[in-house]
Formats: sequence, structure tokens, C-alpha cells
Amino acid sequence: MAQQPKISERETPFAVDQTLIGAHPAIAKLRALIERVASAEVTVLITGESGTGKEVVAQAIHMLSLRSNQPFVPVNCAAIPHDLLESEMFGHERGAFTGAAGSRHGLLTTANRGTIFLDEIGEMPRGLQAKLLRVLEDGVVRPVGADRATRVDVRVIAASNVDLADSVTRGAFREDLFYRLQVVPIVIAPLRERRSDIPLLVDHFLERIRDRMPGREIAISREAMVALWSYDWPGNVRELENMVERLVILCEGSIIDTAMLPENLVASARPATPPIKVKLSDGGLNLNNLVRELEGRLINDALKQTGGNKQAAARLLGLKRTTFSAKLRRCGVIAPASLDDSEEA
Amino acid sequence: MDEAIRLPQIMVVDDDQDTVAILAHHLQREGFVPIQANSGAQCLKLVHENEVDVILLDLMMPDMDGFQVVKALKDDPETAEIPIIMITARDDMDARAEGMRLGVSDFLAKPVFRRQLASRVRAQLEVVETSRSATAAMDRLEAARKSRSQ
Repeated sequence: MAQQPKISERETPFAVDQTLIGAHPAIAKLRALIERVASAEVTVLITGESGTGKEVVAQAIHMLSLRSNQPFVPVNCAAIPHDLLESEMFGHERGAFTGAAGSRHGLLTTANRGTIFLDEIGEMPRGLQAKLLRVLEDGVVRPVGADRATRVDVRVIAASNVDLADSVTRGAFREDLFYRLQVVPIVIAPLRERRSDIPLLVDHFLERIRDRMPGREIAISREAMVALWSYDWPGNVRELENMVERLVILCEGSIIDTAMLPENLVASARPATPPIKVKLSDGGLNLNNLVRELEGRLINDALKQTGGNKQAAARLLGLKRTTFSAKLRRCGVIAPASLDDSEEA
Repeated sequence: MDEAIRLPQIMVVDDDQDTVAILAHHLQREGFVPIQANSGAQCLKLVHENEVDVILLDLMMPDMDGFQVVKALKDDPETAEIPIIMITARDDMDARAEGMRLGVSDFLAKPVFRRQLASRVRAQLEVVETSRSATAAMDRLEAARKSRSQ
């Protein structure tokens, strides 16, 4: 946990575009919003899937704020056991509970005049939510076992990987706290929704590795880049970053190629077209589906060969243009309903 | 913003009228308003006459190919931010590489699965919404700052 304001030693001014990489309009807006919200001193709620960079955003807000030379204290509410979270955050008096030999400051006090980042706030027990609400409303902290509250000046930035509005509806999260937190809501888009940033990010990660290992020549083949671009990245930017690091380690030459990519990643980039086995087994087969599948593939191949010219594609397959169009309609664009259920997105 | 009732408008571009009609039909069933275009030129015209949220673009068109359309859309500041989903042949990696280079948002491989069609379009709408809410938050902050300084 960041206990001291290490950040104040930084000489160059903080550059948000060096921290949040991407040219996608959603990221450009996010950067602009961060710059705007930083100086506004308001409470911020960041929502985004895991690996999208919620802490990076929180840190950027802190660094661009007037509090930048004061502490930034990150707390992962899901990582600290529920019964310890209260004394971790609020501190405790001597003898407040078994094992509390001396009194201790809480993280809210550590963050005084700075920023506290409460990650996975949806995991905070309801009782503690009420106590946090008091901090936000009155700016006071009362350590466990203490009879007096002390004043703190802390900016709260909270984050969640689930939509907290849903948690409110389910009764798992206090509505009053929710509204108090999301004075400015910030949503970070998952990587698969801004695929166009993937090549930029890959280049950025490779660049960073080159900086770290001078003399190491490393590049990525076009095919491998297309595969990375096509993948859905459930772990988002963090997963992509780890993947690039792993590929560099595995790469013995200077080019990262598709052969080095994990199988699931390549499979999603190049959807399998299993060979059609025309062999009648004991279980029988569905001739109609098989014929449609074969037609679909040949139609696609013909279109590819002719660069999309349907007249020429029809000729390649020995079909009249009208027949070709009818077949294209049936199996060229929309998959037959029978296949729909077997599809995994 | 007061546009809660507005249905998302999705443009479908393909030189084959039947293909456009089929995709439009499925989009409509998913609650979108399809706008049909049969050529790249028509796409570039209609995109200025409508409030298009997402463009579904077939790359294989004889007159003006899909890539030229992507370039034209990306070069025009008015349309540059509209997400484009390209439709490609299942294993056409060259097309995908070129689309990636030009800044296409996503892809669908033929044959298109209904569920995938809807979910990919929705994903792009979601990210547009994310940008909009960021803009709205910025406007609110700006208004608050102004009222404080007055």
C-alpha cells in the first residue's frame, strides 16, 4: 500500500496520455474527463471490467489534482477480510478488540489531505458503508473503540467492476452512499469495445520492453497482430499487457509470430472450418445442413477469389446470377438457425 | 440527455439488395432502426442525412470497395467517430488486417450468427453511450465551475 507521497519527487509534469494509451474516441473523452474532474475536488465512481485500468484512472485524477503531492492510498475492499476492513480504514484504539495492543491510525487518516482509492467498493459490508457515508458527509473519522471522532480531509475515489446501480436494486449497496459516490461517474469501456486501440497498445508495450532491455530487437508479424486484434480479451488491457510480455519472453528470434500465440487466441481469430467428412455413419447425418454448409463455403471462396464480384463468382460456380443470389441469401450472410445455438460468441 | 426513447439507427451497406434486406430484418427484430444502403456512395450520402449510430459494412463491393468507404468515413470529422463493423469472409485475414489498419471497430465473419450480430452492434452502442456520458459529466462540471466563479 502506498504510504508515502512518492509521487511528489516526479520532475516532469504528469501526462495523462502517457498513462491511458489509446486513440479511440471513448478513451480520448475519458482523458478529457479525467483532466476536468481532477481539479473539481468531487467524489468519483469509476466503473469498468477487471483489467480496464480503474486504478490507473484514479491515480491520474489524483496526480492532476491539487492534492498531487499528498498521499494516494489505494485500498482493495475485496482483498481485506470484512472484519478487518473497518479497523484498517478507520484505525483503532488500544484494547478496542482482542489483539489490539496499541492504537493505530487507519488508512483514511493516512490519506489525510490526499486521496483514498476504494477499489471494489461493492464488496464493502453494509455496516461499514454507513460509516463511510459519514466520512463523506461530515469529514470525520471515528477509530474503532474511540469515543471521539477526528476531522479528515480526504478525497474519495471509488471503483467497481460491477454496475453498483444493480447492487443498489438488489439491496446489497446503500442507495444514499451510491448517490454520494457517483457525483461524477466514469465508465471505462472494455478493450473488445475499442478494438482499434489494440495495435497501439501492443506497440506501446513492445516499446516499453525495448526501453527496459536495450539491444533487444522485437517486432510482431502482421498475422499475429490481426489475431490479437480479433481476440475478445476478457481480462482487458491487463491481459493484453501480460500476453505481450509473455510472448516477448517466449520469442527466441526478433519476430513474434502466430505460431507462438496460445491456441485459444488463434482459434478465435481464425474460426475453425472443420473439413466436411462425407461419410455416412450409423447415426446418419443431416444432408440438408451438410449441403448448405458446403454451398456456403464455396460461395464465400468464390466471392473472395473474384474480389466480391457476384457475376464472376456465379460463373466460377457454374451458376446463373439469380441462382447464385438466392443461394447467397440462404447461406452466405446469415447462418442457418440450426447453427445459431451451437455458436459461442 | 432527453433521448431515452430514440431507437439506435444502424446502417447496413452491401451491394446485394437481398443481403441488406436480410440484415435489416434481423436488426429490426432486435429493436434497431436499420438504414439500408446499396453502395459505398449511397452510404456516404445517407450517413449525412441520418443520425447513424453504427455502420455494418460489407467489404466486398465491386464499385467502391469497403476500404475506400472506411477511409472516406474516417477522413470526414463528422463521421469519423461512428463505429464501423466490417463483414468479411470467414478466413479472409488480409481483409481483416486492412480493416484493423484503417481503424474499423469490429468485425463479423460470414455467415453471421444472429446472436453475434446483435451483441456486436450492442457493444458498439455501449461504447458510444460511454463517450456520451463522459461528455455529459464534463458539461456538468463545467457548469458547476462557472456558477462557482460567478
